[in-house]
Amino acid sequence: MPLKLERIKEGQRVIHGAFPRYAEYNCAMKYMAEHGFHNVKFVMPPPLTKRTEEIGARYSPDYVCTPFKTLLGSLIEALEAGADTLVMVHGYCRLGYYGELMEQILRDQGYEFDFINLSEYDTWKKRDWLKVIRRIDPKLNIPKFVQAARETIRMMEHLDEVTSDYYQICGFDATGGEVRRAYRRFLAALYTADSGEDIEGAYKRVKQDFQTIPLNKPDRPLQVGILGEFYTVMDAFSNLHLEQKLADMGVEVHRWMNMTHHLLHYGEVKNLAPKIRDQCEYTMGPTSTANIWYAKACAEHGYDGLIHVKSANCTPEIDIMPVLQNISADYKIPTLYLTYDSQTSDVGLMTRLEAFYDMIETRKRALS
Amino acid sequence: MILMRDRRPEGLTVGIPQGLLYHRYSVLWSAFFKGLGITPVYSGPTSRKVLEEGAGVEVDETCLSAKIYMGHVKALIGRCDYIFVPRVDTFGHFRDMCVRFQALYDQCRNLFRSTGQKFLTYNVDGEFGITEEMAFLELGQSLGFSKGEVKKAYAAAKKEEQRAWREKLKAQEPLLKAGGTKILLSGHSYVLDDPYVGKPITDFLRSIDVTAIRADVVNRELALKKSVELSPTCKWEVSRELLGGIALYRDQVDGIILVSAFPCGPDAMVNELLTRKLKDIPLLNLVLDAQSGAAGVETRLESFVDIIRLKKGAL
Ligand code: SF4
Ligand code: SF4
Repeated sequence: MPLKLERIKEGQRVIHGAFPRYAEYNCAMKYMAEHGFHNVKFVMPPPLTKRTEEIGARYSPDYVCTPFKTLLGSLIEALEAGADTLVMVHGYCRLGYYGELMEQILRDQGYEFDFINLSEYDTWKKRDWLKVIRRIDPKLNIPKFVQAARETIRMMEHLDEVTSDYYQICGFDATGGEVRRAYRRFLAALYTADSGEDIEGAYKRVKQDFQTIPLNKPDRPLQVGILGEFYTVMDAFSNLHLEQKLADMGVEVHRWMNMTHHLLHYGEVKNLAPKIRDQCEYTMGPTSTANIWYAKACAEHGYDGLIHVKSANCTPEIDIMPVLQNISADYKIPTLYLTYDSQTSDVGLMTRLEAFYDMIETRKRALS
Repeated sequence: MILMRDRRPEGLTVGIPQGLLYHRYSVLWSAFFKGLGITPVYSGPTSRKVLEEGAGVEVDETCLSAKIYMGHVKALIGRCDYIFVPRVDTFGHFRDMCVRFQALYDQCRNLFRSTGQKFLTYNVDGEFGITEEMAFLELGQSLGFSKGEVKKAYAAAKKEEQRAWREKLKAQEPLLKAGGTKILLSGHSYVLDDPYVGKPITDFLRSIDVTAIRADVVNRELALKKSVELSPTCKWEVSRELLGGIALYRDQVDGIILVSAFPCGPDAMVNELLTRKLKDIPLLNLVLDAQSGAAGVETRLESFVDIIRLKKGAL
């Protein structure tokens, strides 16, 4: 949205803020930044490319997990695009330490910027985030902020729901591309949304499109469940468009892990742990409970295969692999384990996916 | 409770894998189990074979220390009633363990499921207010001991642990005052104390007349406070102890060696930060993996020490 500059008072600085690219969620961050605060202009980092990965990897320690490298590359591209304030989130696992090391690396490279590292605000108390908000905008208009937050959450929920629908149907598009075009239009509308109505309108339109575009879908198509590490499993660039590739082979692709489920509404599904008591007694890592539960649920639903996605050196996802292997054996569901780093090639991935596809397809025919 | 006491098995044996946190808690664990009349069974020192066996069962991409650990677990299968594998999540705010320690117990149960081996754990989770003492209480009671018995055994074991720790601290004091070349070793205790992986480093340094100081042998409370000077948002307990140890000892040594097990999650980041921040003291980053041969490591240590001595004019 064009920043309403007239509302910024004399002498008050406009913050050109950025957050690294994360799947398609940057539209929501932009909306929140520009509608929740009166003094922020969101600088959209360019879409992730090989270059992003390369510059990120160049300045990163060798065996840090891959999202660190990609996010660092994206921050550098945000600075190049004119950002003067960078935000890094706090989180479980190594994510909580990303910010400090990234800031050090960027300062060593000579960049000048303001850095808002949410780890610095973490005291395990519920109201920590208030301090961050006050730092950004001391004259915050609270009702406006709350309204923007509500709309941003709706945007993320719509995005996740539509994305999930999309990968389940786009492999069966009978029109040769209408489904894909409708999804692209929806994304474009979210990136340019300027009001709650814009968001709801885009959502209604794409839902309608998905209902009316003719599909050529068998009663029981091949179904594959995707699970894994928080960043790589959601970010299409990082997982080399895994879901699109599968869909293009004619697979109905399912993925539970997204912001809506794991961040916005995780409280409602906290009862997942008892469902996997046979597999593990304790929480094994930040996303372990959800991933183990989902693998089991897909197996129980009779899906044809599972794909476990993680970045290289991702400790918690490495550690749940023995559990996934047991689920795979117990329920006789083929599981493909994919590890991504900046060297992972499209061709290599395609070869493994094709082999996996052939296997589950042959199996399905033999079983039916 | 009386009923539970009746369930208490006679002559219970508990296997203790001598890897990972064993090196931090050996005194506490052994004293605790013995205090309850339980016979600990040890897996024995790490060897090439232990590492290879562990690497055979563990997921390929895991760290060297976890592979070694699984070798120890495997060596105990069928040799005891339970194998003891603790779960430590966090001790409190910004006092986390590496996530691997959240998963370890369930990981073992899954990796060794087909053997029918029983495992035993204790669960420390500061985020939910579960302290070490509470964890031990639950463990002891689950075996059929009364609350009083477990409390007594824990208190006695804790005392022994503290005494042993004080001795360790005291033993390092004269080393800090020693003349000659002094080098600070910073690494996880299960790397540096491991007979197969870390001990050759200390042995070699001694053979070339270097006094090795340990960053983790330090007043831990003080180290945690000091750690923020080097890294304000580091949230891993052990990394913070090491950071604090470095902050406290750096002026008393000629160089620092960061020793890490490939590909250690926390070390990959914290050691990078240290390398960027500690510009005024010679620093060596030593990453050990299953392939690191003794010869290669010795060459690197030797040339590092040569540089230090050259600088000091001692060569
Ligand atoms: S979950 Fe994996 S990718 Fe994410 S911070 Fe932890 S190790 Fe890195
Ligand atoms: S701290 Fe490093 S060496 Fe220790 S268990 Fe975690 S990854 Fe492995």
